[in-house]
Amino acid sequence: MAGFNTKVPVTFDKIQKSFGHVRVLEELNLLVEPGEFLVLLGASGSGKTTALRILSGLETASAGRVLIGERDVTEILPKYRDISMVFQSYALYPHKTVAENIGFPLKVRKVPAAEAESQIREVAAQVQLAELLHRYPRELSGGQRQRVALARAIIRRPSVFLMDEPLSNLDAKLRGHMRAELKHMQQALGITTIYVTHDQIEAMTLAHRVAILERGVLQQLATPAEIYNNPANLFVAQFIGSPPMNVVQGSLEGNRFTTAGASIESPVAGRSDKVILGFRPEDCSIVADGNGAIKGRIYTTELIGDHTLVTVETEQDKLTVKAPKDFAGKQGDATGIALSKDHLYIFDAASGQRLR
Amino acid sequence: MSQASYRFDKAKRSLMERLFEAPGIGRMSPAAKIVAYALLLFWSAFVLFPIYWVIITSFKTAQAVNQGPFFIPFVDFQPTLDAWRTQFTADPYCDLYAVGRQLVLLFHNSIAFLLSPVVSIQPMEPQICKVYLAYTNSFVISFASTIVCMVVGSMAAYALARIQYRPRFGNILVFVLLALAAILATTFAGVHWFYTAAVALALFFLLARTIGKHFRGRLRNGDILFWIISQRILPPVVVVIPVYMMFQAIGLIDTHIALILVYAVANLPIVVWLMHDFFANLPIELEESAQLDGATRFGIFWEIVLPLTRPGLAATTLLTLILSWNEYLFAVFLSTAKAQTMPIMVAAKNAGEKGILWWEMCAIIVVMIIPVILMAILLQRFIAKGVLLGAIKG
Amino acid sequence: MSTASEIDGRPGYVPAGSSQSESWGEWIDRHSRTYFIAPAVVLILLFAIFPTFYSIVFALSRVKFTPSGLTFRFVWFQNFVKQFTGTEQAHFLGKLTGMSAAGWVFGLAVAAVTLWWLIRSIRKTTWVGMIGRTISAAAAIGIALLLGATLLSLNPWGTMLTTLFYVVVGCIIQFIIGTGLAFLCSQPITGKSFFRVIFFIPLMITPLGVGYAFKMIFDITKGPFQPFWEFIGLRDWAWSADVWAARWFVVLGDSWQWIPFIFICMLAALENVPKDHVEAAQVDGASSIQIFREIIWPQIVPVAVTVILIRMIEAFKIVDLPNIMTGGGPGIATESMSLHSFYLWRANDYGQSAAVAYLLLILTVVVCASFFNYVVYNQFRKARA
Repeated sequence: MAGFNTKVPVTFDKIQKSFGHVRVLEELNLLVEPGEFLVLLGASGSGKTTALRILSGLETASAGRVLIGERDVTEILPKYRDISMVFQSYALYPHKTVAENIGFPLKVRKVPAAEAESQIREVAAQVQLAELLHRYPRELSGGQRQRVALARAIIRRPSVFLMDEPLSNLDAKLRGHMRAELKHMQQALGITTIYVTHDQIEAMTLAHRVAILERGVLQQLATPAEIYNNPANLFVAQFIGSPPMNVVQGSLEGNRFTTAGASIESPVAGRSDKVILGFRPEDCSIVADGNGAIKGRIYTTELIGDHTLVTVETEQDKLTVKAPKDFAGKQGDATGIALSKDHLYIFDAASGQRLR
Repeated sequence: MSQASYRFDKAKRSLMERLFEAPGIGRMSPAAKIVAYALLLFWSAFVLFPIYWVIITSFKTAQAVNQGPFFIPFVDFQPTLDAWRTQFTADPYCDLYAVGRQLVLLFHNSIAFLLSPVVSIQPMEPQICKVYLAYTNSFVISFASTIVCMVVGSMAAYALARIQYRPRFGNILVFVLLALAAILATTFAGVHWFYTAAVALALFFLLARTIGKHFRGRLRNGDILFWIISQRILPPVVVVIPVYMMFQAIGLIDTHIALILVYAVANLPIVVWLMHDFFANLPIELEESAQLDGATRFGIFWEIVLPLTRPGLAATTLLTLILSWNEYLFAVFLSTAKAQTMPIMVAAKNAGEKGILWWEMCAIIVVMIIPVILMAILLQRFIAKGVLLGAIKG
Repeated sequence: MSTASEIDGRPGYVPAGSSQSESWGEWIDRHSRTYFIAPAVVLILLFAIFPTFYSIVFALSRVKFTPSGLTFRFVWFQNFVKQFTGTEQAHFLGKLTGMSAAGWVFGLAVAAVTLWWLIRSIRKTTWVGMIGRTISAAAAIGIALLLGATLLSLNPWGTMLTTLFYVVVGCIIQFIIGTGLAFLCSQPITGKSFFRVIFFIPLMITPLGVGYAFKMIFDITKGPFQPFWEFIGLRDWAWSADVWAARWFVVLGDSWQWIPFIFICMLAALENVPKDHVEAAQVDGASSIQIFREIIWPQIVPVAVTVILIRMIEAFKIVDLPNIMTGGGPGIATESMSLHSFYLWRANDYGQSAAVAYLLLILTVVVCASFFNYVVYNQFRKARA
């Protein structure tokens, strides 16, 4: 390990955090591989931002250790942790020009002006800001501001990049574009990156691995594909995927799942009164009334473009099915839903854990 | 103007309706406009007339003042510069270089004072007439005290907005009791203040670690902020005698430094109160980002925070300047000759045997209020933008 | 451990925070907690807290001048007792003999209402709150009885009631006129910025100048209104000869100076009221008075009470204006407590002077704290809810 682009692992070791009586993080254990792009995904209040801020040193953990590389940084001031952070609001200094903003980390480290100047140019070129160095942040568009924030973060070549929902202030189109750029840049620099977001698409597209947090507890840490195909529990299953996974409550006996008016062959065997069957809208299909495992009536249909979303009202619930775009069913029609056995998930209703 | 009487056809409205009905949303009816302008103009006259009267009186002769009211220069009376001449040019050393000489003197004498433990430098003798001296003093004292007050006050305000302080209640209690005991011992038992202060300080550090620890209660930032702001309630007459004694004890009576310090403290609550609000409302990410980039606390304060609160800083500075410029009570107590400020100069005109020489006094008041009016107009622009509103809202 | 070697050569890298390599700058930065706030605390301790304590020594002593300096003789609370029951009673409280029936009725009525309020609040508040309420109630009853014994019994009152007169009457007048002017200036009229600048100026003029200017303008024989005074037959009259005229005269000067403060704050508050609220009400056909009462007023009340509180705090300190305009006269009719203390100091009676100053401090704190607790605080709670 030498040279410029040192790849450094990051370890959260039994990190706990409470604000007063509110526990925000319960024993978070997380190992981020060197050079990895890890996304912390969760709803607001899940503790993802707190975890990031503890790593940055802006917040102190109530218990546990944080390691960057081999070094225990739990008690170390933020500025000695060798990290840089991109904030949701970008935190650009409105009274400084783009060049001054990008060069600020060098200025506080007393890098000679000439050296700083050349580095600012280099980094600005990297994020296509070379023309705008003398503008003020208020004269820039959202995407340009975002790039200034990125440039300021990379100019120091830190061991670790922290990003706190950096794309959420952009409009949808620009977000897609910046996502690609971000991914490319991280790959090229190879710096360990920890990225916080509540947007599952960002998580799925950007991450090497995704860590899903809920109420301060790590739910699952896996690659995007693994998370999608093999959710560890009901929360993850319902959090990932759009529209979300359908769930049906029922009981399990042997390898048959039974619910009001339907009995379905289960992928796992067992015996429990309260289980939940989950299947994704894209893993089932609308069939004629009488066929299929579940029957109901069409509640509404929505043409999305390349497909139609059909909401079917069953005795218990409303279920969503992805149908072809030329689907012609009418509201109120009796219909059936066919499931595919390979894409069924069974969860314990009490704990939410997946039964395998 | 009930809804029923509302008509869409403008031409058919009666005169009364046209008078009392607003022509549209966000506009006033003609009658309301007339009343509003009448009131506003009346109040403008009420506000401006005293100022006008002071100005014209300064151009009157003794006769013109004493022989009944004359209102309009050149029409009612012939304006003269007599009062101005006697005030500003008659005395020796009433030349424009006097102010420059005085500034050099102040600089020279403060260096001499600072170096007095090491080398003794002969202080310069003032060569300036009284009015110019007071004017220079007023400028020097109000600017210096404003700088001290702004630096100290905004740093404290920033600290209270961003750093968590949790002083123990017990320690404060111990401190207060010891301070009281020390003062009583000095005054009534005749112990030298140096010994009581030393003993009290030593006892404080001892007791703070033992007794103070046993009190659970801790204060928060809000309490400290309230404590600082609440100092404004303190009437100056409560503290002025002891402050006088203190400065007398260390030989600083009738010096600039005494007034500079006292004014800075008197205005500190206002500065902390206003600046705290500006700092607390800044987005904290900017400071966090700078912190991660490796800036020191002072670096962040200087490079990021202060430039962002520039309008607030300017408004608070102007307010502090004006307050120190006008202060009278402390100046009466703490200055006798060398450090006299303009308000003392004005008040002194009252003491003559011939009664008040209005024309001369007005000339002094005019030169005193000219800079204030300029500052007021500047300050007004900030206030109009709502710069100071946040603090008032609590 | 040493990551330093790995990261060496990176631009502007600062080695990790081991204490050996700590530079001066870092040492200072580590103590920024202290040095940011310490100067302010030290200055306040030195020039506000310490003198306040030291003032107690003066207030509890008889102070004498000797060649070696001041000597203090400890006399317990004699200086204070003198103000309430002793020789200084008439000066501080007023002439209290011969309280009229009206005075008794008023004083006892207020006392009854206050006690009723106090008893009712026992259930609602904690014991700390109860102590505060008891102090407020005692102050209110005391002031009411004092009013009954002086004003309603046609006796002259002392400097305490004069001070309260300046505070209460001054605040009410200034608030009404200031808010009215602010409301006018918030209307859609041209020349707003002109009026704003003009109306603001008096606040910034030294109180001394204000005092002299008013003394000059309302001079009966030489002032600009001389023809008017002569016309209504006030040729030989003098402001300083009539008790009430002199008091109102001082309030007039005080108002000229301080209405701008209320005006400027309330104008800022009024302009902060969202325009669409007002326009929606106008579309609904509300009159301007209705709009003010129903839409605007509730939104500016929190600012209004804070502004009044600030004004009250400053009003208690009033000293320059009565000193210059009337010299405290006729007799002691326009003497505020600050001025009372100032005159005692000038007469070299340091002990009494400090005692009066302390009484002023207590009065200020009780009145302002009561106002804060029962009015300002409630408004903020409502605004937040």
